[in-house]
Amino acid sequence: MLEALPVRAPIAAPERLEILWTLAWAAGLLFLLRFVSIQVLQHAHYRELAEKNRTQVIAQSAPRGRIISADGQLIASSKPSFTLVYFPGSSAPPSYAERLASALSGPLGMKQEDLKSSLRRAVTRETPARIAENLSVSAMFAISELKNIYSGIDVITEARRHYPFGPYLSHLVGYMGKMDSREWARYGALGGYSFDSRVGKAGLEKMYEKELRGKSGGIFMEVDSRGRLSRILESRKWVPGADIKLTVDSAVQSAAEEGLRRSLSGRGAVVALDPRSGAILAFASSPGYDPNAFVSYSDEEFTGQAEKIPEFNIAAQGTYPPASIFKIISAAAFLESGRIDPAEKVFCPGYYDAGSRVFKCWEKKGHGRMDFIDGLANSCDVYYYVSGLRAGPLAIEKQARAFGVGRPTGIRLPDEKAGNLFGPTRRATRKSYWFVGDTLNLSIGQGETLVTPVQMAVMAAAVASRGVLWRPYYVDSVVSPDGKTLLSRSPEKNGEVRLRPETWDLIWRSLKKTVDEGTGRPSLIRGAEVYGKTGTAQNPHGEDHAWFAAFARIGEEAPRVAVAVLVEHGKSGSGSAGPIARQVMEAALRGVLPKNETPASAPSVGISTRPAAGAFPDEKEGEEN
Amino acid sequence: MLSRVGLKKGRMDWVILAAAAGLLFIGTLAVFSSVGVLASYERIVRTHLIAIPVALLFFSVAWSLNYQVYQDQWKFVYGISLVFLAGVLFLGVVDKGAKSWYRLPFFSVQPSELARIGLIVALANYLDRRGSKMREFGGALGALLLAFPFFLLLMKQPDFSAILTTLPVVLAMIFCAGGGVAHIAIITGYAAVSALFPILWTLLSMSPELTQNPLLGFFAGLSSFGWDTLIFVAAVAGLAWAGWFLSVKLYSNISGVFFTGAALVVTLGFFSGMMVKNQMKEYQQKRLEVFLSPESDPRGAGYNLIQARIAMGSGGVFGKGVFSGTQSRLGFVPERHTDFILAVVGEEMGFMGTGLVMALYLTLLYRLKSAAQLARDRFGYLLCCGIFSLYMVYFLINFGMLLGFAPVAGVPLPLVSYGGSNMVATFFALGLAESVYSRRYALV
Repeated sequence: MLEALPVRAPIAAPERLEILWTLAWAAGLLFLLRFVSIQVLQHAHYRELAEKNRTQVIAQSAPRGRIISADGQLIASSKPSFTLVYFPGSSAPPSYAERLASALSGPLGMKQEDLKSSLRRAVTRETPARIAENLSVSAMFAISELKNIYSGIDVITEARRHYPFGPYLSHLVGYMGKMDSREWARYGALGGYSFDSRVGKAGLEKMYEKELRGKSGGIFMEVDSRGRLSRILESRKWVPGADIKLTVDSAVQSAAEEGLRRSLSGRGAVVALDPRSGAILAFASSPGYDPNAFVSYSDEEFTGQAEKIPEFNIAAQGTYPPASIFKIISAAAFLESGRIDPAEKVFCPGYYDAGSRVFKCWEKKGHGRMDFIDGLANSCDVYYYVSGLRAGPLAIEKQARAFGVGRPTGIRLPDEKAGNLFGPTRRATRKSYWFVGDTLNLSIGQGETLVTPVQMAVMAAAVASRGVLWRPYYVDSVVSPDGKTLLSRSPEKNGEVRLRPETWDLIWRSLKKTVDEGTGRPSLIRGAEVYGKTGTAQNPHGEDHAWFAAFARIGEEAPRVAVAVLVEHGKSGSGSAGPIARQVMEAALRGVLPKNETPASAPSVGISTRPAAGAFPDEKEGEEN
Repeated sequence: MLSRVGLKKGRMDWVILAAAAGLLFIGTLAVFSSVGVLASYERIVRTHLIAIPVALLFFSVAWSLNYQVYQDQWKFVYGISLVFLAGVLFLGVVDKGAKSWYRLPFFSVQPSELARIGLIVALANYLDRRGSKMREFGGALGALLLAFPFFLLLMKQPDFSAILTTLPVVLAMIFCAGGGVAHIAIITGYAAVSALFPILWTLLSMSPELTQNPLLGFFAGLSSFGWDTLIFVAAVAGLAWAGWFLSVKLYSNISGVFFTGAALVVTLGFFSGMMVKNQMKEYQQKRLEVFLSPESDPRGAGYNLIQARIAMGSGGVFGKGVFSGTQSRLGFVPERHTDFILAVVGEEMGFMGTGLVMALYLTLLYRLKSAAQLARDRFGYLLCCGIFSLYMVYFLINFGMLLGFAPVAGVPLPLVSYGGSNMVATFFALGLAESVYSRRYALV
């Protein structure tokens, strides 16, 4: 049979096999190009994807830096909390969410329906979701066991913001929240932020976000394709954020908050400064909010709450007529004008006839004959009408400008208001006329003058320091966890009020007399010299606003505290603002006040012999700080 | 022009054996690495190590026997292959929904692999005998009829991977034997259309949301006889007529027969596809689904391919080192030791590895082509053509699938992938080619 076959049989179409072979190597060439493209040119891209594939990071947010008061109290700190997270990537069938929800609902004590919907949401969004936060220890252990059965769930430890005092200093501290798109654009670029990170939304938390935020740590795990742990590659410890030391004294702050809470309307502001530096000792603005409320939330809750935040900061954003506390400025203008003899007496019948209109004194009976010191101490309006006309509105406007009225104090807070400077030059710029009545109103701090409580505190500190107009500050320093000072603020002057020493002496004596014998008696402190001025701003919309501006010193040393108190609808400065100011100053002086508290042993240096405690017994109760 | 390669005296083409050994070496490393963390590691390693000597034995036997024996005994070869293939339907075990394995004490045997070599032998004989009459359509049809029982048995298992790789081989052999190109085109078109519809319907039933698309929704409705069917047939006829009309208007010299034929092929293919679909049992349906998306995944279509590509890309030029591939060892690459073995090679040995595998494959194909061209008779030529086209098909489909040129289908890469039966059959086929080569100008 074999011999029948020729050695070289005519092959039908040998070129056809060549065609197939050409096809094969042409395809091979194509494959080669593709290999080069994938393995050589796009190598870095695919390597990154492979790394992402196999590593799963369980991020652990670092404890945020603490916010510490000057006396070492923690105003904001962090505490550990356990969070249940769900990574949807590893399992997707809809029945799985159902099974997982039913397994989790027991230990978590949550409704199965709620769990299912949040699991589903995580699946559709393809992002890990926090299913439950702040787990109890027992729930955590129960879930740790379930972790072995159900893939995709995990419990992570996080440091969670905690504000031990609750609603306290809230307008300075601010609060935390989830990022909006603008913040994501800003912080996302810095790295270390994930989409569900929380950032400071207001106040210090926002201003010092970069410093407060530490470096997040994480567990870098190698996982297999089903998301099961294969081995731990690296466990990186977090670095906590830097601490912020405030100038705020917790006791002073507590006194201020407590005082406002107990006041007639519960609305108002207290600002206390150290007149030696401009450092803020207390900064209370009521209504405030509890920043803890924003730490724990789900998305829906948060948006609802954010709308309700009383973000309006009365202390820096509320403008009010200063009323009688402006008389300090008027008084300085009178004395500096050279047209007023402080010893000259003006008769107060209880009203002043300005011709076209009769201007009343707050004391309808009249004060009788008042010299400069009595006029200020009793806040006699008539004395100010007469002297104001004599000194001229320009002199008063000049002093008001010098004391910082109509200009923001420069405190680092968002949207500080400047208030309104009222006077003839201001009026002239608006191409309007200045009337006699305007001068009278200007002298007693009514009319168009508007000030913020911070401005008044700065003014009080300027009087206390005899002329230094401080720029108030409340961050003393920022200290990193390894003890390095990243930032420290030093006192900063905004300007100076240049008055003759005799003028300061007279004003001081008047203010002292105000407290010792006049309208400021509620703020008398045994063992300290208190200088103050009350104010009652007429309010056409309701009860009058109560003002009190004061400062205090021990013996002959420089004043240690200056304070401005505003109580909205507080009726009278003496009645509702004064006691708060006293508590605040007492708290500020607590370390240096003589321990002896019996009235007999409190003859300080003042002229007064009046026992203050007996006169206002009910105010003593408010001092539990 | 005939190649001069290998014209010098030699009993054996060592290049073929060297290329095969190289591929086997790389494949063994990749297989062992990729299954290193699997529970079935020991079983796979054992099977692989048993298969290597068996394969070498088959190679030696095939090489030492004169291949012309098979032409003499073609009926016996053909019959035994069919029996072997049919037997699995009664004696076989079911794995992954297909009854295509004989379970033996230490390993399993997949008869389709060896039976396919038998089919190539029978076809080579038929096409040789048919000789110069291959220009007629009857020649091609006869070859198809010869192969038909094989496809029927493969459908019965069902083993779509074998069907997908065998049908092109049959066509390539007809082509190499001098069959009319038009005839092959008709057969290809018919096969493509009749395969397209069941695949389309299966895909649509796997992801029903696709039927929202009006066109796909219309096609989904075609799976049972109805008005839609008539509309479809009319549309095909209309399109063919429009094409013919256009070609007449354009003064092209394309014959009207072409358009008529095309319409007929599409219509007939459609009806046989419908028949296949309606005849398909549920297990066959399931198997087709598995075949269309190996390790079907909830993470969405394309996930497997993306993971395989990530594995390959992350290997870079030199790779991560054998036994250090994270993608494959952690299970991100699907079917890592079989269909996607090349991704493992790419990850662990980099571009050097994949390039080497491709170079070795092309070398192998080139030498198989040379062996065909050097054959002393037409039977030897056709036998080598069949073997050449079989491994070319594997090469094109497996590489193409991984690189995104071909749809994902469960087709392994012989010599590199894990698979004892495939390895044995491959070495047997290479032995046959060597036998043709050895006896290229002398009677032995």
